[in-house]
Amino acid sequence: MKKPSLAVTIGSLSLRNPVLVASGIIGYGREYERLVALDRIGGIVTKTVTLRARAGNPPPRVYETASGMLNSIGIENPGLEGFLEIKAPLLRDLPCAVIVSIEGEDVNEFCELTRGVDGSGVAHAIEVNISCPNVGPHGLRYSTDAGMAREVMGAIRPLTRLPLIAKLTPNVTRIGEIAEACEDCGADAISLVNTVIGMAIDSRTRKPILGTVLGGLSGPAIKPLALAKTWEVVQAVDIPVVGMGGIARPTDAIEFLLLGARAIQVGTAMFADPTLPEACVDGITSYLDQSGASSIDEIVGSLEIPEGRGVIRAGCAPRPETRARGGRAS
Amino acid sequence: MNLVPCTVFSNQEVSRGNFLITLKVPRAFAKPDPGQFVHLRVSHEAEPLLRRPYSLEGFVDRAGIRAVRIYFSVVGRGSRILATQPKGRRLDLIGPLGVGFAPRQRRMPILVAGGRGVAPLLFLSRRLAERKRPYVFLFGARSRQDLYGVREIRGARLHLATDDGSVGFHGSVFELLKREWSEGNYTPQGAEIFTCGPHGLLHEVASFARERGARCEASLEGPMACAVGACRGCPVPLLPGADSGRYPAMCLEGPVMDATIVDWSRLP
Repeated sequence: MKKPSLAVTIGSLSLRNPVLVASGIIGYGREYERLVALDRIGGIVTKTVTLRARAGNPPPRVYETASGMLNSIGIENPGLEGFLEIKAPLLRDLPCAVIVSIEGEDVNEFCELTRGVDGSGVAHAIEVNISCPNVGPHGLRYSTDAGMAREVMGAIRPLTRLPLIAKLTPNVTRIGEIAEACEDCGADAISLVNTVIGMAIDSRTRKPILGTVLGGLSGPAIKPLALAKTWEVVQAVDIPVVGMGGIARPTDAIEFLLLGARAIQVGTAMFADPTLPEACVDGITSYLDQSGASSIDEIVGSLEIPEGRGVIRAGCAPRPETRARGGRAS
Repeated sequence: MNLVPCTVFSNQEVSRGNFLITLKVPRAFAKPDPGQFVHLRVSHEAEPLLRRPYSLEGFVDRAGIRAVRIYFSVVGRGSRILATQPKGRRLDLIGPLGVGFAPRQRRMPILVAGGRGVAPLLFLSRRLAERKRPYVFLFGARSRQDLYGVREIRGARLHLATDDGSVGFHGSVFELLKREWSEGNYTPQGAEIFTCGPHGLLHEVASFARERGARCEASLEGPMACAVGACRGCPVPLLPGADSGRYPAMCLEGPVMDATIVDWSRLP
């Protein structure tokens, strides 16, 4: 039997397979090159680049919870200038797609970052992080408000021909509306979920554990939530969706694909198992084989849901134009 | 640094709540320096989620067999599971990782160990003894049974301290350091300090060295996620003047660092 094709496209971005490593996990690729087979995965998303260098938050920045991890890294990065000077050369010859994650404090910064990353020549796509919970009010403000998401995406769209992937936070009530706003303003894809706002407490000291009090929760603990949010977005938009949140086994990755995600990102669980991205590629291949599918398009969005079920009603009836479209593969 | 399979060769409780585990690693595993660490998956279950960073107590390399030794205390979920792993159990680890101790030539190394912090210093002491270098080993613990590995220390001027006075000096190992430094008439040009132990001890030792302009390396401990410098989850706060507005990653620029530039009051 012919080997099934795992190739997928996200806008004009062609990936050898749908397995990506999420932003903040793999640095700029080189940190993990001895541990992760970069030539076997679809691509990586870099650590988010901000306009100015950021030292990040004070320690402690990570804390393990039940099946999860809280973090308050605070986007420690060398800033756009440092990225172009130090990090971009490291990304140039990576044997997989490179998606550069950016985050600005205002629309102008998003624009400057888009121009800079576009000009660097190392990015195959840009992930627009409008959803980090760890940088004060700014990041979250953008993707908890459809109007502001629209403003950012609309402003940067004309500045680059690279595919733009808007990364959304799950910390909202109606994520579908924000996804639609991004789609309307020219986003080529939506990725989600970023971390869920969380908190941990030390009852002995009566203090919060994280230096920043609140942090972002990731890992297997958030997978059901991530699936539900991804499902909501898949129904709301026509552009491809990149699913993530708690993927710790190949089966988890397959679940996101069945739901309608065209690609997936592996995150926190990779810290424990750096072979996870590769295992996901192998697991998806076997699944296609067993299903008799010749390409990944045949399984994306093939989840069987009874008519009229699984519609998200966020406190009111769904608007008439809410369509249960599923994630179409074409 | 590589991800390698490892097999439990032995795992024994050497004193109440304290274990020595020996893990066989492939022959390709690079020879570690004292102070370096491994990022160990304590089981193949989904819980706990993250690996655990463990400093090495020693490295075995004989008759074609390579193994790493870890001395650990049961303090939480990960170590509780690790303590139950039987001989023959297959696990995996990433390593060797980080920066180890770097003793300079012609300076008297003074090793200051507190409790289970003795682990990397035992590794260092063996390395110094192999090289026939004289050194001073100051070791403090709560009680006699916590003075792990003390009989194996060779070629050192050894002084012990216990909190309960069951053996050696009755008090803190920091007092031993102060006494040793003045009685030995050491100078910053003639001696240097290597330390590992509880946060409070490291802070005291670092301040002592800083006041005297002495070189002092400490092995730091803290939670890590990736342990390879990618996630930036293990920042080390530095004192003003030394930090230039950045946090070095403990996993990459440590775990052994210049103790005199660490801002211990901001390190949890």
